[in-house]
Amino acid sequence: MKKYSIIFLLTYAINSQAQQGRIDSSSFLDKTEFKVGYYGNLLWDNGLNLGAEYAWKEKKKVKETKKGQKTITHQFLVNGNLGYSTNFANKTDNGLHTYYGLIWRRTSPKRWQFQVELNPLGYYRSFLPETFKVDGGDVSKVRLPGRGYYTPTIAFGIGRLRNGKRRSGWYLNFNCAFRTNYNAGVLPTYSIQYGHRFNFKKKK
Amino acid sequence: MRQFKRSFLNLVVLAITICSVASCSDDENLNDLDETIFVRHRNADMPAYIRGNASEKVFLITLNGGPGGVGLEFRGKAFNEIENQYGVVYFDQRGSGNSQGNYDKDEINIDIMAEDVLALAKAMKHKFGSDSRLFLLGQSWGGTLGVATLIKDQSEFKGWIDVDGAYNAAGLYDLYLETFTTTANTQIVLGNSVDFWESVLELVSQVDPINNANDFSKLNRKAPEAEAKLANDGIINSENTGVEGNDLNFVYNPRINQWNAIQIGSIITGDQGLFQTTDLTSQLPKITIPSLFISGQYDMVVPIASAQTAFETIGSASKELLIFNRSGHSPPFSEPDRFATEVLRFINEHK
Repeated sequence: MKKYSIIFLLTYAINSQAQQGRIDSSSFLDKTEFKVGYYGNLLWDNGLNLGAEYAWKEKKKVKETKKGQKTITHQFLVNGNLGYSTNFANKTDNGLHTYYGLIWRRTSPKRWQFQVELNPLGYYRSFLPETFKVDGGDVSKVRLPGRGYYTPTIAFGIGRLRNGKRRSGWYLNFNCAFRTNYNAGVLPTYSIQYGHRFNFKKKK
Repeated sequence: MRQFKRSFLNLVVLAITICSVASCSDDENLNDLDETIFVRHRNADMPAYIRGNASEKVFLITLNGGPGGVGLEFRGKAFNEIENQYGVVYFDQRGSGNSQGNYDKDEINIDIMAEDVLALAKAMKHKFGSDSRLFLLGQSWGGTLGVATLIKDQSEFKGWIDVDGAYNAAGLYDLYLETFTTTANTQIVLGNSVDFWESVLELVSQVDPINNANDFSKLNRKAPEAEAKLANDGIINSENTGVEGNDLNFVYNPRINQWNAIQIGSIITGDQGLFQTTDLTSQLPKITIPSLFISGQYDMVVPIASAQTAFETIGSASKELLIFNRSGHSPPFSEPDRFATEVLRFINEHK
């Protein structure tokens, strides 16, 4: 875990440096969007995900066509998420997840978006019901039972931008998380994320 | 911004509260238990689903087949009937079902898994009182694990119920060759599924007479097919007879189950060679608690000869062998009424 913390701090420091150079003209809020949405696989795992995306780099390509100019936007966004999900059928499969990384997003002239997320810094903490620890002949009740797993994620998704609106768009992601070291291996878990993004830009 | 922060925090608190309330267990009621506890042992957290009537503090701990099966797979008509009288504990073994943990491959073996079962027994007595009376039931691979547990410490249990138990996993290969041949010849004479049984004889003639992993896998895969043919031809009851009430669709994520089964299967049967190396027959005389052996007459997965040898070898003064004539490898599902009756009778006698 220590090594992941170091990687996280390094990435954070590098990102902060990068941001300082580009953020001059606009505030943090101007470049940040918040998101809230469903997280789960509909059947065995259902929950809520909250997050934020900070526009780190942006590049616009303008194409001249017969119908006029078309702008395609490519963005790199710093991504952070926090969520909770559970299996209502067995009442035991509860977990809190958080992950951080980068999003690459392409926005078409018609505001359709395609995105790829790479979140190398992820953590999943399961929450279990009443748990007894047995060590030799000793039995004791575990406080705040559950386990933590290093869980990086990748995701692919689509969405649509709503220009100039407070609710600035929706997204649908297919997410794959790799829970390690889980039952002597790396457990891939798949989920869908559907939600909306919001911005709180100051109106000029 | 402040309003947003407040709404955001409210949303988080609301979400966590809803999920926590939804995930809470019901209050304890010994007459009609429906709760789940976890046992933490050797870096694994393993769920025990406790169901039924534990008013007498009598619990039947079950060990499912596999390795890689799930604890609640026993549920159905027979176990629903058992739950009406006694508490039943369905246990997801290390690396199976909803169990989880941070451990390495070297922490998965029969020895540690047997200690897990003893840990479960200790946790049960800690939770329900030291006057709780425990019985142990193992089916198929659960029979291997059950015997390994009892060899370590049988003092926690009032009795042992072996259902088609594979205490001699290494001996199954020879039993397959013998049972497949006799069953195939009989069915061919009767004119039942002749083509299939001829293919069984062909398979037996093709495999190496010496136990090896590849050929074992071929024979082991043929066994359920053979039972399906026997059921189609009316020789045994269908396993669907007793599945009523076994609704696991949303309790286990089938994809995670499959991943677990492959993972643990590759370690125990692949790396450790369960079916080539494990034979606990010589240690059966150490088990002296009352024992009941149940075997399907047409069990092709763990043939009936296995139960007969266990019955003759075990050290228990009080022991019984019951053959279920209309069953293959799953008497709880093919003859659920008789199964429940015999298990309840055994528990009543020895509780």
